[in-house]
Amino acid sequence: MTLDSDSSKSALHDRESKDVVIEVKDLVVRFGDRTILDGINFKVHKGDTMIIMGGSGCGKSTLLRQLIGSTVPDSGEIRLYGFDITRMSEKELDPLRKRFGMLFQSGALLQSLTIGENISLPLLENSKVDPAIVDLIVKMKLELVGLTGFENLKPAEISGGMKKRVALARALALDPDLLFSDEPTAGLDPVMTAVVDKLTCDLTRKLGMTAVVVTHDMTSAFRIGTYMIMLGSGPHQGKIIAEGTPEEIKKNPDPMLRQFINGEADGPIPLKLSQDDYFKHLLGSG
Amino acid sequence: MNAYFRLNVEILFWLIIGPFQRQGPKVAEVFRQIVRIGVEGLPMSAMTALTVGLTLAMQASRKLTELGAGMYVPDMVSVSMMRELGPLMTSIIIIGRSGSAVTAELGTMRVSEEIEALRVMAIKPVKFLVVPRFIAMMIMGPLLTVFSNYFGLVGGWIVWKLIQGKGTAIYITRSLESATAGDLYSGLFKSAVFAWLVVTISCHVGLNVKGGAEGVGRATTRSVVLALVAVFISNATLTYLFF
Ligand SMILES: Nc1ncnc2c1ncn2[C@@H]1O[C@H](COP(=O)(O)OP(=O)(O)O)[C@@H](O)[C@H]1O
Ligand SMILES: [Mg+2]
Repeated sequence: MTLDSDSSKSALHDRESKDVVIEVKDLVVRFGDRTILDGINFKVHKGDTMIIMGGSGCGKSTLLRQLIGSTVPDSGEIRLYGFDITRMSEKELDPLRKRFGMLFQSGALLQSLTIGENISLPLLENSKVDPAIVDLIVKMKLELVGLTGFENLKPAEISGGMKKRVALARALALDPDLLFSDEPTAGLDPVMTAVVDKLTCDLTRKLGMTAVVVTHDMTSAFRIGTYMIMLGSGPHQGKIIAEGTPEEIKKNPDPMLRQFINGEADGPIPLKLSQDDYFKHLLGSG
Repeated sequence: MNAYFRLNVEILFWLIIGPFQRQGPKVAEVFRQIVRIGVEGLPMSAMTALTVGLTLAMQASRKLTELGAGMYVPDMVSVSMMRELGPLMTSIIIIGRSGSAVTAELGTMRVSEEIEALRVMAIKPVKFLVVPRFIAMMIMGPLLTVFSNYFGLVGGWIVWKLIQGKGTAIYITRSLESATAGDLYSGLFKSAVFAWLVVTISCHVGLNVKGGAEGVGRATTRSVVLALVAVFISNATLTYLFF
């Protein structure tokens, strides 16, 4: 079920650009003098689930923010359905935005609205759906994420994991062609994680939705991913240090990747200063 | 300053063009804001106006009686309430109560990514959040001022009647006679200008908060200070222009 009226036009466009939905070229993002993303390149094809991995603070959310056109990069190109969003105004972006859903890391639910109102918001504001049907869609979306009957609570009255699921339901409200989710399963129990993963798989494999998912959860990453990239940190900050299909990633011998996937404390991923630097740092002479 | 100017333009755009694109403000949301900004602010404005009326009458009656003009206390109270103190005191109350709340609310939404989420859902924050608050403030600012004017008069009457033991009828006649419709309208015009300044400043500062909860706190203080300065300066300017 697609609520978007120009989906036929978009299908045509997809074929023209050989099914590439997202194309990122030489993306650079800086905050002050820190370079967070340093020449990122990748493509996401229709129906793919792209997994973005990497340590905390390595720039995953920053990357996602660029993809939704919420901040402008320092340089580089981001094409969604062939349109370079880095050169588009807010007004030009809106039709594109109606085609995608975004699940923020914090959920970003409107605190002043109930859960039901949060989910119906994009429907009421951006589609011509009859208000009577909106109620029905809200119930269906809540059912999908296992939260039937919670529509009258406020976001402040539910747990973090539940907020994530409501945010997912809201992101899916308009049946997007493209879903961005930032750590959708953080704070969820294993069963709920499996439910959310299955939902993502169903939507991408059966309905042809494209997904970009940031996650730390390796089980979930291998379960839903069709392509994976890993962002580096420390000296590799801002670079893609490994990429490939889940099979390729499993076989990739890169020690940093292995350490991350296996969740080991010891390894090449830089966490601490070296012994000497540490003393200097403590004594304030470094 | 540039961004503040753009906010004003955008508010006007949604107010004037929005309804033609079937994107007019939601009546229910406007009412919710009217209740929060206006109705809940009524007791506080009333109390302030009452005490201002009392004080004014006490001060005036001492000086005026010395000059042998004790009869003019009602004139003094009603004219100064309508032209000056009603609009000014009410807008100070609105800044403290509602302006700060608007900044804190929008600022919190900004730092918790809610504003960004709205934009990503192709919902314009100005249309969705600012316009209902703007309409509510433009209605309730002048309305609260009218209420304040009358509470000020009641304050004056308390002194007149209960302390000085003079007649109620003469108080009413004198205060209504001395104040002209022009006095009332000029006060209301002032209060509309103040309401505009307060709501646009508090929304602008709130939407541009940076830096977490601490940023929200700082922005709230900033918005109160800016709004006070703007109201005082515009008050002096308007008084100079009109009188
Ligand atoms: N608005 C900002 N201003 C300055 N630095 C920022 C900002 N947002 C993120 N950063 C920095 O960018 C880095 C990446 O952040 P983020 O993308 O949130 O990481 P994560 O991979 O955990 O999602 C962090 O080191 C953070 O300090
Ligand atoms: Mg993050």
